[in-house]
Amino acid sequence: MQSRKLRCKLQCFLFPSETDHWLTLLRIGLALQILLYCLSLRSDWFQLFAGEGHGLISSDLTEAIVSAETVFTPRVGWIVVAGNYLGLDQDSILWFVWGCLVCGALCLLAGILSRSAAVLVWFLHLCTANSAALFSYGVDNFTSIGLFYLMLAPLPDQWSLDARIRHATPKDHRAQGFHRRILQMHMCLIYFFGGIAKSVGVGWWNGTSLWRALTRPPLNVIPPDFLIVGKNVLPVLGILVCIAETGYPFFIWPTKSRPVWFTFIIGMHVAIGIAMGMYLFALIMVVLNTAAFGPGLIGAKKVTLKEQAIVSR
Amino acid sequence: MRVAFFAVHFSFILLVCLRDTFSVLAESATFFPRSLDRYWRAGQAITSVPLGETLSVDNPIRQGIAAYLRGAGIEAGYGYFAPNVPDNYKIVFELHYPDGRTDYELPRVGGAATGLRLSSLLDRIAEETYEPLRATFVRMLAYSIWQDHQDAMSIRAVVGYVELPDPDEFERGQKESYHALFAYDFDFSKAKSLGR
Repeated sequence: MQSRKLRCKLQCFLFPSETDHWLTLLRIGLALQILLYCLSLRSDWFQLFAGEGHGLISSDLTEAIVSAETVFTPRVGWIVVAGNYLGLDQDSILWFVWGCLVCGALCLLAGILSRSAAVLVWFLHLCTANSAALFSYGVDNFTSIGLFYLMLAPLPDQWSLDARIRHATPKDHRAQGFHRRILQMHMCLIYFFGGIAKSVGVGWWNGTSLWRALTRPPLNVIPPDFLIVGKNVLPVLGILVCIAETGYPFFIWPTKSRPVWFTFIIGMHVAIGIAMGMYLFALIMVVLNTAAFGPGLIGAKKVTLKEQAIVSR
Repeated sequence: MRVAFFAVHFSFILLVCLRDTFSVLAESATFFPRSLDRYWRAGQAITSVPLGETLSVDNPIRQGIAAYLRGAGIEAGYGYFAPNVPDNYKIVFELHYPDGRTDYELPRVGGAATGLRLSSLLDRIAEETYEPLRATFVRMLAYSIWQDHQDAMSIRAVVGYVELPDPDEFERGQKESYHALFAYDFDFSKAKSLGR
């Protein structure tokens, strides 16, 4: 009896009935993220992904390091080999990859061929992230996470052109709920462990970590002469960051504390974007948070079991 | 099926997060006494087992798990800037010309987004413990500089860290200081004659 009750509770938690608004936010947000990723790296694209003797660090070396871990790691080198077989040179192939990423992102933005576009963009982004792994930072991991979930999610959503033009059937609301739940729980783990790791360092409690993060080139967007004015606020902000991140899994679920926590976390990422020049990092975190916890917050109504029965009839 | 996927996927995320948290605790300066390091290392070792990291590198299970983790973007934990913000590394190239002239150069990139990535690369170079690999990274960067200055006969690359003043030191007028960690000399005189 007890185990049956527990199973039922688990079932209700993992498969809530949800609309697909979260998926629309995730699809459009990731499309914008990939477009900005391509545009921001456009001038250095060749330098980052060229082979021996051309780029800053040869992608051949990076790929060799990455593939020592697993030979199945997708990389730009695979596409270059395939292109060479067809008689294309490295320059053309690298720009072809760039073009495919942009086209894939535009398809995602509009919701045309959503599933195929999501798979293509996930694969190409993974290839570029792996081939330039020595240059990567958190933004690449979070983009990969988002694209992985988008690729597996019940696409197309009702706001995509696929659903509007081709009248593709909207997917079952419980599947929507399950996929959103995975993203929500992943976000909780991200912040919890990020918060714990920061909290054990002295620097986050006395403000020096925040000071160092804000004055460390190339993140020193704000002049230190200006920052020093708010010197006494830095320890408070550092502690708030630790509390917000570690407390995320506990305060983001209750309906009363969710708006406060969500607003603080979004504010923190916007501030990181502005004060440290990490625009892409800020955008991906805002996108993932908004897709995970945004829709319920801004008043999207939950689908009741009765409504779901009507839809599935 | 979905629940099974959920269970496996979350077990992986949790294991990676725990492994990296134990690593932070074992290897960085934290509130905890150093006497606990061996427990953190034990935790790190235990969490590495289900991730297949104790199997031989070519084991298909290890390869499969690593490929899944990379594909899902969950191969690393989330301890950014934790437990403390790391040192800021810098690489300076000293270019020597046949007429005795010396110039200084920094790695150049086209955009701010790549500038952030270059900073990640410098962190990796400075923290690389396998010396031949570190020398290879620096040689590649030196070669990219030489391509823009092909008259240079040799390049000395100096990797160092920038010590930034804390708020109190900054208020007292203390400036940042640069400390050299490693230096490498590369001779491009032969490359020059080959190029011509």
